[in-house]
This record gives sequence, structure tokens and C-alpha cells, in this order.
Amino acid sequence: MILEYLDVFISGLTNGSVYALMAVGLTLVYGVSKAFNFAYGSFYSLGGYFAWVLMVLVGLWGGYIVVFALAVPFLMGFGFVTEKLIIAPLRKRSDWEVKVMMITLGLALFMDNGFQVLFGPRMKSLPPLMEGAVSLGDIYIANQDIMIFVLSVSGILAFRWVLNNTRIGMAVRAVAQNPAGAKIVGIPKNRIFAATFGISTVMVGVGGILLAQKYFVSPMGGWDILVKSWVITAFGGMGSIRGGLLAAFILGMLEAFVGYWFGLSWVLFALFAVLLTTLAIRPQGLMGKWG
Amino acid sequence: MLKTTDLNAYYDQFHVLHQVSCEVHEGEVVLMLGPNGHGKSTLLKSICGLVHKVDGAIVYKGEAITRLSTEKLVNRGIIYIAENRELFGEMTVLENLKLGAYSRNARKAEKKNLARVFELFPRLATRKKQLASTMSGGEARMLAIARGLMSNADFLCIDEPSLGLQPNLRIEVFNIIREINRQGKTILLVEQNIPQIAELAGRIYVLEEGCITFEGTPEAAAREERLKEIFLGM
Repeated sequence: MILEYLDVFISGLTNGSVYALMAVGLTLVYGVSKAFNFAYGSFYSLGGYFAWVLMVLVGLWGGYIVVFALAVPFLMGFGFVTEKLIIAPLRKRSDWEVKVMMITLGLALFMDNGFQVLFGPRMKSLPPLMEGAVSLGDIYIANQDIMIFVLSVSGILAFRWVLNNTRIGMAVRAVAQNPAGAKIVGIPKNRIFAATFGISTVMVGVGGILLAQKYFVSPMGGWDILVKSWVITAFGGMGSIRGGLLAAFILGMLEAFVGYWFGLSWVLFALFAVLLTTLAIRPQGLMGKWG
Repeated sequence: MLKTTDLNAYYDQFHVLHQVSCEVHEGEVVLMLGPNGHGKSTLLKSICGLVHKVDGAIVYKGEAITRLSTEKLVNRGIIYIAENRELFGEMTVLENLKLGAYSRNARKAEKKNLARVFELFPRLATRKKQLASTMSGGEARMLAIARGLMSNADFLCIDEPSLGLQPNLRIEVFNIIREINRQGKTILLVEQNIPQIAELAGRIYVLEEGCITFEGTPEAAAREERLKEIFLGM
């Protein structure tokens, strides 16, 4: 019994860490540029397909290390260019926030259908990051889970480090806290918007590669992730990175235990129940502001 | 050093500045006076690339700079110091100052300027780690000016630096501005507290309803009967 709970706990922790990585990306873009990206789930699938093409279709030498080394610049560039091409031009117009939602929704449909045309409707599976398991007495932990956890947590820590210790990180925080102040000191706001969009694309795309090993890649697979990332963001507090991290782990656990006790079909129901209860009591989410 | 010719500025459909021509020579402090809401801040913001719609000409060091982005203007040495300070509240004093040196032109001089700023504002040096949002009004004002100086600019547009400050702090701010000017910075200043600031200024402009209605020395301005109202404060 205890051992089964431990399994569920580990699954919650692993998924929670990837959700955290992805939710931070979504909340980052919202916090910095007030744009809500409906194509976020499709970027998740993009990461998964990118890895699948390299690992399975091409059969790349070097395995996942090479995949990640290529995926990060690819996703960064994809996000940067997407922002410049379709979001930046809208920013000058009135009600641009709504227009951004509409155009990213359109992009999501375009991308998902593109995946279907290119790769077919069937799910693709990826080989595990690492075979085998670690045993501690009676407890077995799959190496794959450990790797997923370690990589997503390192991703978050690396992001945190960049945010706190580099010039561009400081500029990102400056734009989030006070866009007018950022403009005055000469920070190129538009480039920062595009860069954060690129960084968030890396976060969700890498999340897609990590989770694809457990949950496959499919053309419409991103919607579930968009919903979960959004729930985490709203639950944690729009624009709050710390809130997003906390919410991701809480919801990762909730998902694992609800799935274990009541079955997977209750998971989204439980997530929304928690979200609605939280928002009824604390409309700003767990941790209101950017932090 | 900086000259505007027939400058017009608009907010949406509101025509705020009308054919404003003014000039600031190198090393000068020029004071822009006028009633509230008549375009003084808009003039500073237009010069600093912070107003979307402007026409006319702005020439700085012999080059046309009308409609250049703020980013480019900061890089050329023009900085706006906002009346409402526009600090980064959730960041420390030191981080705010470092962000002041974001432009390429400022980066190379960051260390030197930081030392100079701490010399000018010793209180900031003891509060490097404090969050900007937790500072008092006077300290925040000092930080805003200090952040502006970090940009390595030669030309400072300072918007109502004494706004909301107690009289003793106002004097302190004016002394700082005098010192900054003495160190070679050219300053275009918008102010309301005229008696204390007039002695600082080389020349005065009066801006009313978006038009320049007076230009001259503080002494000449003091003799103008119709400016008495402005000089006595609003």
C-alpha cells in the first residue's frame, strides 16, 4: 500500500516538475507582455515532434543530448520569429490582448492540422531518456522519471539564474514590473517581448520532449497541456513565477492521486474544482503578483 | 546642443504642443515653466521619444533626432527623468541603477558612473540592497535622478524633480541638480517651485496652452508683469 502511494507520489512529482517548467513559460509571457498565448499547447507538440523526427525518423546519432542541443535554439528561434511576425504587429492596435488570443488560437489550429498532415493522426512514441531503474530496497524508481525531474528542475533553476543574474534577465524583470520605466532607461522592449516569447517556447517545447516519453506525441495532444498550464497559471496567480511553481507541484500531486483513487477521467474535473474554489476565495490566485 | 523647431505633439486626437521652438545650449540649465497641463511634460517626452505622434524638427548635436526611438536617444546621451519616477519597485537600489546603464553607451562607463552616483547620493550607497518600493518619496526621487545619471547621458530632461517633496528635500534636490550641472551635464528642467529654482536657470521658457509665450533670463522673466501669476506659484 505504502509502496503504491510512493509510486503515485513520484509520478506526481515528475509530472509536477514538467508542469512547473511549462507553467513558468506561460506566466512569463503573460507577466512580461500581457499576451496570452493560445498556441502554447501546439508549441508543446512541436517539441515532441521535433524530437520524434530526430530520434525516430532520422535516427540521429548521439541521442537525446544532441536532440536537446538542437531543440533549444530551434524552439527559441521559432518563438522569437513567431512573436515578431504575428504578435508584435498587433501590439500597436487597440484591444490587442484580445486580438493576440484570436491569432494565437488560429496559429494553434494551423499548427495542429499541419502536424496531422505531416505526421498523420496516429500517436508517436519516443524512446525513454534512460532505460532501467534505481532500486532502494523495495522501491523502484524509473531512471526516466529521475531524468525528467532533474532536467525540468534544472531548466527552472537555469531560468531563475538568468532572470536574476544576467543583463537580459534584469531587463525582462524591468519590463514586467514597469514597462514605462523600462522604455525610459532605453531597454528595447520589443526585443524583450520576442525574447521572452522565445524562452517560453523553449520551456514548453522541452516539456513536450520530456513528457512525450510517457504520454506519446499526437496532433491534438497540446490542448490538454494548454488547459493544465492555464489552470496552473491562474491557480498560482497570473504573472507570478513562484505561484506558478507552487501550483504546478500541487496540481501534479492532485492529478496523480485523483487519477489513482478515482480514475484519470476525474483529473480535469478535480483540477477545475480546485481552481474555481481558489479563485472564489482568492481571485488573484495563490500569489498575486510577479515574484 | 539641442534645438526644437516648430515642434507639434499629439496625444490621440489632442494637439498638445503647437509649433514649439526652443533651444538649450551646452552646459546650460534651461527652465520650462507654465501652468499644469499646458504641455511641459509633453515637450520633454517628445524630445525623449516617448510621445508617439510628433512632427517638426528636433536637432541634437547637429543631427536630426525627431522620431528616433527612446532606446536610440538614450544611446546618444539623452535621458528622461520622470516626475512619477518610474522605478522598478520590486528590484533593489543597485539593480535599478544597473538598469539605468542598460544602453550600449552607458555600459562601458557603468563602474565609473556608479562610483560617481554613490558619491553624489551617499544615502543610496548605504541602501544598495533595499527594494525601491520601500523607499521614501525623497529617496525614490534621488534614485530616479541617480538612475538617469547612470545612462551616461550629457543631456538630462528632468520632469518636476521636487514634486511632492518637503521644502528641505526640495533644496537638497536643487543642490544636486546644481552639482550635476557643474559636473558638465546640460539640463532641461520642468519645475513648479519657481523661486528656489530660478537662480539655477540660465534661461527660462514659459509654455502656455502648448505655445512658447516667453523666452529670456530669470531677471527678465521676473520683470514681466503677466508672468507674475506663474512666478507666484499656482
